[in-house]
Amino acid sequence: MDKRLEERLFKILMIVSLGIVVGSLFMVIAVIIWNGAPSLSISMMTQTPKGGYYLGKEGGILNAIMGSLYLAFGSVILALIISLPAALSLQKDYIGKTRLAYYIRLSLDVLWGTPSIVYGAFGFIVMLYFGMRASLMGGIIVLTILQLPIMIRSMEEVIKLVPYELKEASYTLGATRFETTSGVVIRQALPGIFTAVILAFGRGIGDAASVLFTAGYTDSLPRSLFDPVASLPLAVFFQLGTPFPEVQQRAYASALILLIIVLTLSIVSRYLSRKFTKNIIR
Amino acid sequence: MKSHINIQDLNAFYGDHQALRNITVEIPQKQVTAIIGPSGCGKSTLLKCFNRLIDLTEGTRVTGKIIFDGIDVLSSSVDITDVRKKMGLLPQKPNPLPMSIYDNVAYGPRIHGIKEKNKLEDIVEKYLKIGGLWEEVKDRLKSPSNKLSIGQQQRLCLARGLAVEPEIILCDEPTSALDPVSSQHIEEQLLKLKNDYTIVIVTHNIHQAMRLADYVIHLYLGEMVEHGPANEVFENPKEERTRAYINGTILSDLKIDKEINLKGNVCPYNFVYAKQALHELSKGKILKLVVDDPLAVTEVPRGMEADGHGVLSVKQINKTDWEIVIRKQE
Repeated sequence: MDKRLEERLFKILMIVSLGIVVGSLFMVIAVIIWNGAPSLSISMMTQTPKGGYYLGKEGGILNAIMGSLYLAFGSVILALIISLPAALSLQKDYIGKTRLAYYIRLSLDVLWGTPSIVYGAFGFIVMLYFGMRASLMGGIIVLTILQLPIMIRSMEEVIKLVPYELKEASYTLGATRFETTSGVVIRQALPGIFTAVILAFGRGIGDAASVLFTAGYTDSLPRSLFDPVASLPLAVFFQLGTPFPEVQQRAYASALILLIIVLTLSIVSRYLSRKFTKNIIR
Repeated sequence: MKSHINIQDLNAFYGDHQALRNITVEIPQKQVTAIIGPSGCGKSTLLKCFNRLIDLTEGTRVTGKIIFDGIDVLSSSVDITDVRKKMGLLPQKPNPLPMSIYDNVAYGPRIHGIKEKNKLEDIVEKYLKIGGLWEEVKDRLKSPSNKLSIGQQQRLCLARGLAVEPEIILCDEPTSALDPVSSQHIEEQLLKLKNDYTIVIVTHNIHQAMRLADYVIHLYLGEMVEHGPANEVFENPKEERTRAYINGTILSDLKIDKEINLKGNVCPYNFVYAKQALHELSKGKILKLVVDDPLAVTEVPRGMEADGHGVLSVKQINKTDWEIVIRKQE
């Protein structure tokens, strides 16, 4: 084929795919703002649902906002505590080259692809077995399991990118494996670790299916770890399911709040991660 | 001559490939020992056996003994972090750690248990001075190490290695990634350090070996061809292979076909004049330049290499002047 034609075709292809990516993001945001912004109000963010809220009466979705934040932060912290050592141990300095590591990676990849309703159903069965009811605790645990493969695999990828020379430098100074990992590897991989956490947070706060059975839904704020708790994705789902147009509008407003939380966090994390990057060796 | 590292019957294997064969030699204390030989002859492997960095490469096997401070480094009962602490390594390519200049130097002392802030500050200052970097960085100790030039990074690596107070400094072609001025800096520091440390330097640059070494080990295809005091090996090698290797890379035997003096010219004019001079020569002829512009010392050789010519040597001949020897290619 003519070189110039090839070049031009490829250019068109790139523009089209970029257009689709950017365009769909903007359309999602635009539709949600268009439909949600008019019903967004301070009272919506500061009140829990009053009687008849789902019929279009007084109240807000503070229960879902707080519930989602509790669930997401709780599970992200728990997942981070488990993921970081797991990802570090998958380095080739530890078990990275063994058969075991191969099976761990395989399991994580399969888990990553597992639909979240499966996690929800699994969590539900386990909770029934132990006689627990839907609670903040249950939701956090299931969300943690949901986030683990995302966090561990993405962290492992950035940890793998840490140049071998850096580890060598640390070893030649008489550092142990642990000192090298904690002092050099984590520092160098920090921006990537941060991204992995944000990725997992986004997945956790946005997931409806896994918390449906395990965290339940309630109109009040949880007072302990063992109370059921509401969440934004389910709030969107329930409100959108009503036959009343004004409640459906509120569903968009709830989605807008969810979107704002996720966007704020990504922007803050980008800013923070830039601060961490200044020492990184390229 | 007192020996510091005593190597007995050392063999090293990468899988089935034997990289070192029956090496038996003593490294003299508080002298500079140069390990010379062509690429792939096992120079770096030998160095990596000393601090057992070779363990970190998969599929390697080492047999024999390396006696250092009365212990066999290769024995499995040895605490290897302790041995590594006593042997600093200056790598081929500078590898600063992802932290500030200060933290780079303090990293070693910290992991070996020094926590007091003022003590660490003293250590950092002392070793940055020994490494010859203090004056350039004393006002920005907290800035990232990746902001330093590559030559400064290598001096930082030297200071970092010295801060854990080793007895031996291992250098793995420490100037091969550096420009001539930075290389010279490193060589000067090494010469200053040899009164206090045992230095082992791997180099493929025979001139560097001549400038620095007191003792020379010549390796060829994993075997030790010859070893002895530097002046004996360089002036009167016992082995034909050593003679051939030294003569093959030595410049004093080269016939200089044209010599031009470009003192007083700045970059890029000296480069242009050099190119013109080279243009008049036929292929394979040798041109010698003398320059005094500091920029030219790095830029002219770089430009010549980019044009496909061979840069045979860049060296300082007096306080201001540098000599660049180029072989015309194409």
